[in-house]
Amino acid sequence: MRTRKLIAALAFAGASMLAAAAHADNYEIDGQHAWVTFTIKHGIYGVAHGQFEGVKGAIVMDKADITKSSVKAEFDVGSIHTAFDQRDSDLKGPDFFNAAEFPTISFDSTKVEKVDDKTGKVTGNLTISGVSKEITLDVKLLNEAQAPWDATLTKAAFSASGKVSTADFPMAKAANGFGLGPEVDIVIDLEAVKK
Amino acid sequence: MSALLGNPMITTAALPLLLGIALGLFARFALPAASPVLTLIWAALLLFFYWDTLGPPALPPVAASQKLIYLAFAGIIIGLLPERPAGGRAASALAIVAVAAAFLWLGWRRIAVGSLDLQMIAAIAVGLLALVGAAIVTGKQPTSSSVEEPFLAPAAVMSLSLAGAIVSVLGASIVTGQLLGSLAALIGGWCLAQYLATLRGGSAASAGRGTEFLLLYAAATVLIQVALLAPKANPVALVLSSLPPLVAVLLRGPLRFLLPGARPLRPLIAGILIALPAMLAILTAIVWAPHGAALGFS
Repeated sequence: MRTRKLIAALAFAGASMLAAAAHADNYEIDGQHAWVTFTIKHGIYGVAHGQFEGVKGAIVMDKADITKSSVKAEFDVGSIHTAFDQRDSDLKGPDFFNAAEFPTISFDSTKVEKVDDKTGKVTGNLTISGVSKEITLDVKLLNEAQAPWDATLTKAAFSASGKVSTADFPMAKAANGFGLGPEVDIVIDLEAVKK
Repeated sequence: MSALLGNPMITTAALPLLLGIALGLFARFALPAASPVLTLIWAALLLFFYWDTLGPPALPPVAASQKLIYLAFAGIIIGLLPERPAGGRAASALAIVAVAAAFLWLGWRRIAVGSLDLQMIAAIAVGLLALVGAAIVTGKQPTSSSVEEPFLAPAAVMSLSLAGAIVSVLGASIVTGQLLGSLAALIGGWCLAQYLATLRGGSAASAGRGTEFLLLYAAATVLIQVALLAPKANPVALVLSSLPPLVAVLLRGPLRFLLPGARPLRPLIAGILIALPAMLAILTAIVWAPHGAALGFS
């Protein structure tokens, strides 16, 4: 009788743990539906826009305890485009993103905070040209739903924004020389597929 | 003052040129030839331009551009070492090891990828030519006290730097272009002061073998970085840019017959001959610049 109770208790504890773990959903970033865009002051004139492609990474979203969530993402420096080929190739050069030496930019979250049911703050290390800098992104969960055309596909969509400074990265000297920034506004919109 | 120092044309051209002239005059009138004090002044000026162009040293250096100032410092240390016996063989060996180590340190991320594209082939060629040039220039003792001898190594570094600067800027690596431009102007100022002294019947002051090494090492390592990392830099122009030190060595020997007998013309013609591959490099880079001479952010 005692043994049965013990087994039942263990089973209950195990089920509870599994249930808790089940709150953490794993997502894979959908590179075809991911836009990492930025704007930066261009000299004494206007604002320059740019975008990266080739985004990949993983999101762990724990709805029960959002602080246990995490984000890990990277994208190709070589994918940068600013609506002008010549500028794109200059940006891939050693003065700016240095694609030959550091082909990817990465973000690894270190802290996730809840603001309300749909919004939060994700702090993490942004690594550009081998230099990591902690930044905080304001993140909004836009939607999470099953695809109407595919019952096996569930996607979540997020929108994030934040600021970085060119002064924190090896591109500082060149950016300053061209009157770019130093503040860079980042907007990220992406969809992620539930695994 | 800060506005003046912030102007790239001042720091890349005017200021180093004036400082080079001042240093040339100082060496002529206030210092014995090849003095360690002169080498220290050159070293201080070199580090000033590195700092001004690349910013303060990063610790630890991660990107290749952050390593350049440390390489310059290593070149200064080697340049300040006392002269070696055994006909400069030790100096040559040290130069080879120093250039090879610089190549590996600057390019290990690219080398690790393992792709042997045209840019990498050009980078290897530039590295090898810089290695051979540095080894011969620093190791080979001058065989004569000819009027052109004090100009050969400085003219080689100036030509390499000037060509490298233009190839670098056209290859979308502006910062290294500025740095090489500063070096070229600094040495150009020195050469100008020495040449004016030669025209007045005097003899040019030698920069000293230590100074020649640290300048050549600085210019060569920056050029290697351009070759490794500037995706738009013309590969042929890069290789041509690294040839002036070899021409300088040839002018001590087999190509000496090309120099005229007239004393004032010998340094001038030697300088032009040394600069020939650099001129070809500049021409190549301009004619085959991928987007013309303009920059994307202009």
